[in-house]
Amino acid sequence: MTIKKKILLIDDDKDFLFATKLILEKGGYEVFMAEDGKTGVEMWKSVTPDLAIIDMMMETWGEGFEVLNKIRSTDTGKETPLFMLSAVDLQGPYNSFEPPPEFPKVNKVLQKPIKADDLLNYIAKALGSK
Amino acid sequence: MTDKSGKPFILIIDDEEALRDGCSQVLEKAGYAVLTAEQGIEGIKLAREHVPDMAFIDLKMPNISGMEIIEILSRDIPDIVLVMITGFATIVSAVEAMQKGAYDYLPKPFNPDQLRALARRGLEHRNLKIETKRLRVEKDLMERNFITFVSHEMRSPLVVIMQYIEALNEIAGDRFDKDVKEIIERCRKRIQNLEELVEHWLDISRIEDGTFAQQKVSLSLDSIISRSVEEMIPVCRKRGISLETNIPQKLPQITGDAESLVRVFTNIIGNATKYTPEGGKITVTCQHDEFYINVSIADMGTGIPPDKLPLIFDPFFRCGGKNEKHSGSGLGLTFCKKIMESHKGCIAVSSKEGEGTTFVLTFPSQIDPERKRMGAVS
Repeated sequence: MTIKKKILLIDDDKDFLFATKLILEKGGYEVFMAEDGKTGVEMWKSVTPDLAIIDMMMETWGEGFEVLNKIRSTDTGKETPLFMLSAVDLQGPYNSFEPPPEFPKVNKVLQKPIKADDLLNYIAKALGSK
Repeated sequence: MTDKSGKPFILIIDDEEALRDGCSQVLEKAGYAVLTAEQGIEGIKLAREHVPDMAFIDLKMPNISGMEIIEILSRDIPDIVLVMITGFATIVSAVEAMQKGAYDYLPKPFNPDQLRALARRGLEHRNLKIETKRLRVEKDLMERNFITFVSHEMRSPLVVIMQYIEALNEIAGDRFDKDVKEIIERCRKRIQNLEELVEHWLDISRIEDGTFAQQKVSLSLDSIISRSVEEMIPVCRKRGISLETNIPQKLPQITGDAESLVRVFTNIIGNATKYTPEGGKITVTCQHDEFYINVSIADMGTGIPPDKLPLIFDPFFRCGGKNEKHSGSGLGLTFCKKIMESHKGCIAVSSKEGEGTTFVLTFPSQIDPERKRMGAVS
């Protein structure tokens, strides 16, 4: 039996977490969920996942970025693929978020809602190239 | 400000003792709290200290005149209702007092009924003014909060429902029979439409409050048109419609935001595809003179009845009525109109039932800097 790869989901919307977890489990991953940034960072340390998906805007705008910073600054977080989830609403009409150059590396910015196939493809790609 | 007992508060400034006392009595009996002052400086001091709701001010007094007092109080005390008392009411002095901020004037001699009536009317006026102000502030706040409200309270549930549908298909899609799959697909489609509607609605509010992100640069419309046409070719092909363009070689530059203009064009071409029958044609034609560039998008569709034509840019207006098979947010053309306005351009439509509809987009072209410097127009 192969060991399942671990994915950590950090999002303050319970339903979004659950729906995404179902998709990821079907894709053959072991899924861990955190409903806020603080728990997310703690779980990152205890679970050491192979990939994490972080919502850009949780309770407060910017919390997602703080989480990203904290994870990137841990020993295990330097090279692990990290995805960010963006809700379009703060981004104006162009649905895109361009991280500034000095920003910790984000491997992929995903738009909510995300198609199951796309999500699994991006993850497979990110984990395969590791 | 009302006094402690909740009574409306009236100030009387008059150098005649008898008049002060008389007015005081009448107004106090009528249920108001009253303060009096013998002359201007004292009156202004009292007013600043006690902030009355209303003040009666004699026009002719030693030192500071009533007119000056009115000017000062209307500036210093928000929403105060000022009435000028005058022994020689002339139209000229009344008009001047009103211009300085008085609500009305009361000619001497007056009787208690007149005084009471004016006090009541003045205070009513004040309340209405305050209420109007409050409502306006509330309205502005609501408008500002609207965008945040829509994005959080309406978008988030839609996003979650879409995600659940994705999850449902992913975990059990292969076990569903045809009917179940179709139901789910229809749900997905309806949610998607609703999401688009919210998105368009947000865009329009953003354009209105000026937070819609546009990067205006110097650009040529032919690149915008080719991009839009390229984007729409698959839809046209699917529907068996041909899409032709007729654009002159050298177009003057315009100042615009490429992304939103492409959305305007794809929107209008998209509309045209919905109403043009199979085998039909959509033609995009571009013409220009020194000052304007006109782009017309003509279809061979069903056309729009003349009585509905003026309404098509209104939000949520639909030509086909409720049972229309064409889906859409009902905000597409409103969006186009707003974007055109934000480009100092305009959008017009003409249509003949059974023959087709033509939209014309007019853009001001950039004035050639060379020519502008020389001051030559022709």
